[in-house]
Amino acid sequence: MCVATSGEVLKVENGIAEVDFQGNIVRAAAGLTEVSPGDYVLVHAGVIIQKVTKQDNDIMTQLLAEMEDAARG
Amino acid sequence: MDSEILRFLKEYDGDVIRIMEVCGTHTAEISRTGIRKMLSPKIKLISGPGCPVCVTVTAYIDACIEIAKRENTTLVSFGDMLRVPGSHGSLRDAQAEGASVKMVYSPLDTLKYAKEHPETMYVFAAVGFETTTPVYALLMEQILAQQITNIKLLTSLKVMPPVIDWVCANQGNVDGFLAPGHVSVITGSRIFAPLAEKFHLPFVVSGFEGEELLSSIYALIKLRGQGTVMNLYPSVVSEEGNTLAQAQVEKYFTPGDATWRGMGSIPDSGMYLRETYQKYDAGSLNLIEDHVLNRACRCAEVLTGKITSEECPLFGTACTTEHPQGACMVSMEGACFNHLTAR
Amino acid sequence: MKITMAHGSGGRATGELIASTFAKYFNNPILNKMEDSAVVEGSGRLAMTTDSFVVTPLIYPGGDIGRLAICGTVNDLLMSGAVPKYITCGYILEDGADVDLLTQIVKSMAETAAEAGVTIVAGDTKVIEGNGGIYINTAGVGFLPDGINISAANCADGDAIIVSGNLGDHHAAILSTRMEIENEIQSDNAPLVEIVRALKEAKVELHAMRDVTRGGLATVLHEFAVSSGSCMELWEEKLPVHPAVQGFCNLLGLDPLYMGNEGKMLTVVPKHDAETALQAIRGSKYGEHAAIIGEVTHTENGNVLVHTKVGGVRTVSELIGEGLPRIC
Repeated sequence: MCVATSGEVLKVENGIAEVDFQGNIVRAAAGLTEVSPGDYVLVHAGVIIQKVTKQDNDIMTQLLAEMEDAARG
Repeated sequence: MDSEILRFLKEYDGDVIRIMEVCGTHTAEISRTGIRKMLSPKIKLISGPGCPVCVTVTAYIDACIEIAKRENTTLVSFGDMLRVPGSHGSLRDAQAEGASVKMVYSPLDTLKYAKEHPETMYVFAAVGFETTTPVYALLMEQILAQQITNIKLLTSLKVMPPVIDWVCANQGNVDGFLAPGHVSVITGSRIFAPLAEKFHLPFVVSGFEGEELLSSIYALIKLRGQGTVMNLYPSVVSEEGNTLAQAQVEKYFTPGDATWRGMGSIPDSGMYLRETYQKYDAGSLNLIEDHVLNRACRCAEVLTGKITSEECPLFGTACTTEHPQGACMVSMEGACFNHLTAR
Repeated sequence: MKITMAHGSGGRATGELIASTFAKYFNNPILNKMEDSAVVEGSGRLAMTTDSFVVTPLIYPGGDIGRLAICGTVNDLLMSGAVPKYITCGYILEDGADVDLLTQIVKSMAETAAEAGVTIVAGDTKVIEGNGGIYINTAGVGFLPDGINISAANCADGDAIIVSGNLGDHHAAILSTRMEIENEIQSDNAPLVEIVRALKEAKVELHAMRDVTRGGLATVLHEFAVSSGSCMELWEEKLPVHPAVQGFCNLLGLDPLYMGNEGKMLTVVPKHDAETALQAIRGSKYGEHAAIIGEVTHTENGNVLVHTKVGGVRTVSELIGEGLPRIC
């Protein structure tokens, strides 16, 4: 469950972050994570629930390949 | 998207595999991306009890409505809850009759209203799974810090592992789980390990894009029969999850038995405000009654994946989006709503 | 100054209100006669429509209820191929309504009417007890040239489906204001007069036209599919949506396909006319982001199908319920 989208932190002040979602600025509480301007974060119901770690584009392929390797043993 | 994977999924001709998702947003995204049409008919996607609105008993809605009708009281809620019928109509209906109901994007918005209107009691319809409970914990933190006395919570908070256990133990017709992506952000992927081991079923934590869902379904087919957890949403999900959020939840809430529509009471499957904070609770304990709109309604079985929407005799006939007979059709994340509107 | 019940009594207060707002800004020879009914010129087939406007907030980013009232009425007339000419408007004012606010709305209505080339020929004012609300009802009359037969039922196999611009702006603007989410989204409320004129001048075979309002693109196309007994097949990647509106939708769990506009239209033309029609719309005011988004087929008659970006196929119904933002 849970609609959550990721946006960019513009600034953080007193535990409230201004997060930009493609031009929509939402004030989200930053009480559950350590964030700084420039971070990409996942926001759910007005609260930042996690920082988004940039992954390489082929992370999915990599993980699946690892799984196949493990399966082949 | 890897064309090999796409081909594999389309042409799969092994044993029928039943994959259950337990996340309302997964249900909705599977419909929205239309990926069912990209899968072999031998790959069955079933919806489980992942829609918090769908599993809420009517006693909870009735309690919300009763509160909304009180003098100097406003019920605050997310949009999802407004159309769900209790035993006598929905919050929307009550609002039309003059009850005070306010829809917000974030529970934290309530703080502002409470401070602006100290004469009004604001009760938040606190529904959700592990993703949302930390949000309520933060709300509690602020209520205490700002010494606000006119906000209370009516909670219907639930956790996933006990209900997944219930489904596996009582139905045993699932070959793998698409594990909820955002619940996992908070809890970490590790909460599924004991279930995977106990039932020898694979769990794959999946994101919400079409490509991510397809890759996760592929992984589940490959991992069939293995009691293992795989994280295919590493950008936000880790094994241990958001430990700060977990600590906040721990501070304010404690597990307790909860009643799930269609499944009855499941031990330790709910979260309740701790004893110390009970004065902020608006009557969440013992909301167990569940009123069924239509005797022939089989929401309970659809919710647990025992039958598909199509197998319910009311589906698409007596029960449609215009006149829903049960939560599965009312909620935009409900299995039946999605099956009827986005075949 | 605030509106009071006296303003609705029909006496001096009413006269003064009308003189200082409606008559002042709607000023035209027909209205100025202030007769019980307006007598106007016209002949041939008439197109008529009525609409009521109850939007809140009364002023929103990009527009207001006055502008909306003209656009909504004019666009309804345009969609049958008629040339809109005359508008009537009835205002229902709740006591407590602000006269300056009313004046701003009336002024905007007058400006929009001039932009759309229509004349407001009759009006009415009532005051009721309440809380300062303002509601507008309109009727519109247009004239339909001979030989025009535009109807959803005309959609034929192979026809191209064109939308005149970005989806969902109006609904997103209103919801943003109500939910206090900060962005630059503006309502797209606009009269489609120029676009329709350009289409007629381009001499394309116009099968169907409809403006995209409440319920969004999905709802209108669903109506087309049912009326014509055919299938509307769309490609998700061709749907024009402003990034801020998409971001807004993502935030609230909304789908742009169901978000209403107030200045966009669908046009259905035979395939060989598609490019010409597209250029005609793109060259007109308010049509800059027009796009061909799909075609009429018989894959699943009565339904709207969307080929999704990932390669799936989704059946899209008309809007159910109110399109409330989701958390889950």
